[in-house]
Amino acid sequence: MRLIAIITFVGGLCFTTTSFGNTARSVCMSSHFSFRGNFQQQTDTSKKVADTGAVGIVPAEGSIQKKLQSNGNSLDPKKLSIFPAISLQQYLKGEAAGLYVQEPSGEPGTVQNMFIRGTSQPLLSAREVFATQPLIVVDGVPLVGEHPFAYDIQQYKFDRIGPATNTLANINMANIKSVEVLKDISATAIYGPKGANGVILITTIEPTAKRRITFDSYVGVVQPNSVVTINGKFENDFRRQFYDKYSGTGNFGSNDVYPLYLSDSLNNAFYGPSNWTDKYYNTQMQYGANASISGGGARANFRFSVGGIKSAGVADNTSADRYDTRFIINMKPMEWLTVSAMVNANRISRDRNKNVRDRLAQVNYIPDLSTPLAPNKDRYGQYLDQFNKGFDDNKTNTVNGYVKLGIDLQKFKFVSTLALDYNEGTRDIFYARTLLQTNNYASNYFGYNQRATIDNVATYEYDLNEDNKFNFSVGSIFQFDNYRYSYAYAYKGANDFIKLNLLESDKNNSNYLNPTVFRRELVYKFLDRTRNNQVSFYGKADYSYKDKYTASLLLRGDASSNQQPTKRWFYSPVLSLGWDLKKEFLADDRSVSNFNLFGSIGRMARYEHFDNYGQGPQYTAAIGFTGNAIVPGYNGIAVLTRPYMAGSIGYGLEWAYTDQANLGLNISFLNNRLSTSIDGYFREDKNMLLGIPSGAEYGYTQVIKNGMNVRNTGVDLTVSGIILPAGKSLSWNSSLNLNYNKNKLTALPGGLDKLVIGDRLLKVGSSVDSYWLLENNGIYNTDAEVPVVNGKTMTYNSIQMKAGDPRWKDINGDNSIDDADRTLQGHALPLLSGGFNNDFGYKKWSLSLNFYYNFGRQLLNQEMANRFDFINREGQNDINSVREITFWEKRGEYSKYPLYNPASSVGPYQVNQDLFLENASFVKLRTVSLGYDFTDYFKKRSSNFNKFYVYVSANNVFTLTKYTGQDPELVSYTGYDNGYGMQIPRTYTLGVKVDF
Amino acid sequence: MKKIVLLSLIACVLVAGGCKKALDINPTRLVSEKNYWKTLEDARAGIMGVYGLTRSALADNNGHWIYGDVRMGNFDSPIRMDLKAVIKNDLKASYPVVEALSNWRRFYAIINAANIFLERIPEVKANDARYTDNNMVVDIAQVKFLRAFAYFYMVRIWGDVPFITSSRDGSFDNVGKTSKDAILEFVQSEMLAAAVDLPYNFSSGDIQQPGNYYGESSGRWQGNLVRKLSAYAVLAHVAAWQGKYADVVTYSSNVINDYTRAGMSYISTDNLTNPNGFFYDKNNNQLFAFGFVWGHQEGSFTGNIESLTLAAPVVNKNTPDIFVPKDSILSIFKETNDARFNIDTTGTTHSFDRYFTNFLGKYPVFSKIKVILGGERDPTFRLFSSALVFTRLEDITLLRAEAYTVLGENSRAIDDLNIIRQRRYNVDQMGLPNPDLWIRYSEPLHGSLIEAIFKERQKEFMGEGMRWYDRIRYEKIKQTNAPFLQLINNGGIYWPISREVLAQNPLLTQNSYWK
Repeated sequence: MRLIAIITFVGGLCFTTTSFGNTARSVCMSSHFSFRGNFQQQTDTSKKVADTGAVGIVPAEGSIQKKLQSNGNSLDPKKLSIFPAISLQQYLKGEAAGLYVQEPSGEPGTVQNMFIRGTSQPLLSAREVFATQPLIVVDGVPLVGEHPFAYDIQQYKFDRIGPATNTLANINMANIKSVEVLKDISATAIYGPKGANGVILITTIEPTAKRRITFDSYVGVVQPNSVVTINGKFENDFRRQFYDKYSGTGNFGSNDVYPLYLSDSLNNAFYGPSNWTDKYYNTQMQYGANASISGGGARANFRFSVGGIKSAGVADNTSADRYDTRFIINMKPMEWLTVSAMVNANRISRDRNKNVRDRLAQVNYIPDLSTPLAPNKDRYGQYLDQFNKGFDDNKTNTVNGYVKLGIDLQKFKFVSTLALDYNEGTRDIFYARTLLQTNNYASNYFGYNQRATIDNVATYEYDLNEDNKFNFSVGSIFQFDNYRYSYAYAYKGANDFIKLNLLESDKNNSNYLNPTVFRRELVYKFLDRTRNNQVSFYGKADYSYKDKYTASLLLRGDASSNQQPTKRWFYSPVLSLGWDLKKEFLADDRSVSNFNLFGSIGRMARYEHFDNYGQGPQYTAAIGFTGNAIVPGYNGIAVLTRPYMAGSIGYGLEWAYTDQANLGLNISFLNNRLSTSIDGYFREDKNMLLGIPSGAEYGYTQVIKNGMNVRNTGVDLTVSGIILPAGKSLSWNSSLNLNYNKNKLTALPGGLDKLVIGDRLLKVGSSVDSYWLLENNGIYNTDAEVPVVNGKTMTYNSIQMKAGDPRWKDINGDNSIDDADRTLQGHALPLLSGGFNNDFGYKKWSLSLNFYYNFGRQLLNQEMANRFDFINREGQNDINSVREITFWEKRGEYSKYPLYNPASSVGPYQVNQDLFLENASFVKLRTVSLGYDFTDYFKKRSSNFNKFYVYVSANNVFTLTKYTGQDPELVSYTGYDNGYGMQIPRTYTLGVKVDF
Repeated sequence: MKKIVLLSLIACVLVAGGCKKALDINPTRLVSEKNYWKTLEDARAGIMGVYGLTRSALADNNGHWIYGDVRMGNFDSPIRMDLKAVIKNDLKASYPVVEALSNWRRFYAIINAANIFLERIPEVKANDARYTDNNMVVDIAQVKFLRAFAYFYMVRIWGDVPFITSSRDGSFDNVGKTSKDAILEFVQSEMLAAAVDLPYNFSSGDIQQPGNYYGESSGRWQGNLVRKLSAYAVLAHVAAWQGKYADVVTYSSNVINDYTRAGMSYISTDNLTNPNGFFYDKNNNQLFAFGFVWGHQEGSFTGNIESLTLAAPVVNKNTPDIFVPKDSILSIFKETNDARFNIDTTGTTHSFDRYFTNFLGKYPVFSKIKVILGGERDPTFRLFSSALVFTRLEDITLLRAEAYTVLGENSRAIDDLNIIRQRRYNVDQMGLPNPDLWIRYSEPLHGSLIEAIFKERQKEFMGEGMRWYDRIRYEKIKQTNAPFLQLINNGGIYWPISREVLAQNPLLTQNSYWK
């Protein structure tokens, strides 16, 4: 006890205040000290485990902390590893109640987003998405994501510059012992402000003293779904309808142009067969192999693993390859001292898509776009060949590791961890002249994200007597984040043979260090860096009475260099309570095997990742304008002005924080044959920063202010049952997880009750993921049909409506359609989502079926809106008028939409109307896998075999949905389906897992 | 046990000591208030920022040309629906560009940056001895001028606008509109004061700016900064907009009398239309201009007239965003011997690629300004570096001619008009130079004097963002075009205020015409 006091005191040295509690804080690993891997019974039939066998619900007995948590949190990595995924998000999709995963493209290795219990902010840009991602902690190493600050120099923000590889594509499921999705504040609070969006805790397999070798491998094919193609005739017929209906002369004005590629019906490239799919979609092989060896003695042991995987996409020859290696060593030089170290290194290289849009966004130059790619196979092939004259190399290296020092004196434990996560990416590009109207392009990017953490934890177990047990911990965390990139690109090199931006290397040459191949004026260079540090202290006391009642109180103090000096520290408490009802009331009832009630309530800071808010009023070098974000200065001289485009930042900005309450129940019956966890939660993220569009008369686009509150409420439910127990001829386990979540904006800065940001409306009391739409009721066929009130014809934004314009609903009845007539509709994030998994066993056979579903989700079919709005998109020669090769794929239902006058200036085909809103609910059969366990067979021949399991699986088998476009999953966080999502491949896999 | 306690003690103390330090990071991405307004370099970054913001405000969405040339002007647009709306004066049409151009935020960024500069610059003076009195005087004059210029520009676009002359950092109170006349009075007095303090040229041994300005020689500053004559030239425009033609004569005479002192001259047609001529780079003849200097990597894909007008064969783009229809060209360029555009009776053009290229094609390309890359004729890469020129000597000369005409001093007006005519109508039927061929203005040949002056302006400044304002002045003088006069009287010559701005500031009301 004295010891704790001393350490608390020491922690207190850092700040001068003597307020209690903020000095204390707890262990990142205490909650998973005792952890036991289990596996679905079909692969472990030798060991008739008593576990439910259902999706890895692993109640860890003993720990007080564990009793305060939902049983629905843990996932079974061995089962997850059957899925031929490359990213963590893919593995976890639909597996845990309350964790929602977005996979906006089937292109392997691309960025995917995760949301635990909804989003805490309106997702306006990559910045908000970054701020809402959960924290991933691997063996106590908090992983660092790719900081979105590089978007600042990007004109087109579709992908971040650099390789834009999913940084969570580095987790090899074969090495993982447990995956836990921590959702409520009782579990996440210990990870601090960066864990405010939830924490995904990954624990790797520890070394074993006994020598053990494992090997697993799979090989598979990915196969595209069939598509219907169209050609120039189809498109021409489609457009002609409008011209026939609305223009007597065949064009909309004397100076109009009808696109040449559609008007020339003799042009075989456009009017001939539309067989581009032969070159675009393809069946590819993918494979993976992992091996590990572990061994040593009781005092020192190690585990070494290597793995390699190739993940392939079905289109554009995309793929991602990963090689990983991991080494972990534990040493116990003294009975009470443990030292362990781990290093994990990965290399991911990616073959990216060849989308015109993404290439032009990278090149930052829009050539003449009046003629799109032709749907003809040979013509498209010629286009693809141009890429072979250059390169686009994307590589990401990830290294993470730790050194841990553990002192174990029975009651007193101390763990000190130095953890490092580092990922770097390079992208080297050369596009030949033929790809960009005779201008070639070279670009090089190198950037890294780095997080170093020093984490100290001391715990003390104190059992007052048999009934009263305590567990105290105090801890400190120091975290140093560092993000940097250097980037250069150049246009118009001397020729297509020198593909690098060479510099003059002769020191005596007056041109020293100037480019020699590319012109100096056409070489653009960027260098940027952002850093931030976090310091935290916490103290935690756990208490249990007769193992029936448990309580835990956490107090923490967090400080960040990204907060303003006057408001740097944030202090917060978390209280958790548990009650074992089984022990209390049903100790003798054999039908109920487990019955726990638990709840938590608390507050925690939310981390701010950008360093500009902490500085108050400031000056930056951003004087760009629309279409030119990177103006380098004036007259070649650097400038400093207020951040007019980014928004005004004043003094007095504070920490945002989250208030959370959780009430949960774990109950299981009949010797765990049926178990249920249900969690009701309330989560309100408060005082968050938001740019309020204001201060236009002071030059600002917005003023950054604290005060946005968003509330998420919902239920997580996991039910699993052993319908037919193992041992008999046929076994059947079934498990369902679901999350129902609703978000609501509860406050805006400055007491505003609504706010328009771009084409979004944020309204207090409504959800933050809704679309702001006009209601469409058909078409005005004649001018006479347009309502006239008091002699005034109905207008749209003061433009008189005419025949051929949409009949939009006049909500406020003022006979004019404007923003006041838009209503909030739909949700970009699902109300209900989850998975439904079934495992059947018969003798040595096992069969599993995994379903994934979303309900209560809508999206806007922008792809169709674009197709109908051809006049405006044809007219603008900008990034939005790019037509990909998939322009020649028939998606969506044309007959659904009325034929408006496309040339009307009211924007009849604007996407923000309910005409384009569609139900995006779906049910997917994600996995069917059939396995056979050969363990016994091999064991008879060699006792060394622990496991030999062979399986075949099919993934992404079918989707049931009412959505008329592509797969409703293939949509970015905005909920606008722009058609850029690449099919999530259907894969067929044959795999083997061996332990000996 | 003791050892452990001791060890953890030491460890904790060590990290705790570094804790305060760890939490104070000076970001490299920005400069915080406490580190700014200290040195000469800060002053330079500040004033260049005001210039840069002005350039950005005018170039944003090609606004300078869409406001000045596209709106009810000579141009038509083949495919851009948003520009068609602007051409028709349908400024409430729901297109992003139209909406963006009705937002005045970017002009207030200039004003805010200027206000901050004026409030804080004494701190630099106090902190850095290298920052001389004179440096501060000319800096303040330039910044005040740019602030006044931003107001002038806004008044021309929106009429009455909010009037703010202090930074009010941190408390951005909403402000209602102030009458345009009051603002223009302010603009005039500020510009006059600036004109007094400014030198004829920078780093050129001018008594009002001795030594090298910010350590850079005169070449660096040519055409890029506000000089004494720039101030008078813009003042002439301000006075003309207000209809104070006597003042126009005063201010423009200041320019015309002293232009040689400022290293300027009248430019030839070739110089006007050459890729590496008048619009290229920076030069003293750019009387008040903002350069996109190629050598400083300021060339841009957008924010210039070229990105709107140029197309094949001048650059590799199929259709121009805007073009002057053939019959308009023929009706505007009716006079013979015009070097800018010259066509004979057989329909053959002899003006090379000066004003129009591909005249016989469906869309004649307006190629007067075509500074591709570093002033080349390379059609392959659409990066342009032409300067955004607000006014030049020819403009001020014709403006004085206009003023003289209004004031009834026709012979002086004709003299001024002939200065320009002499330099433009000097080619033969084959388009070859022949300085003897030009003829003086005469009413029977060229119509009434005021019409001739404005016709000359229409030709001379086509594509320089002047047409719309010229037209308003012309109609005000003529008082014959009833529909247009009504447009002037009911505020239809102004732009609507962006919905975004109106939503932010409840003290504002939409301009009456656009309600």
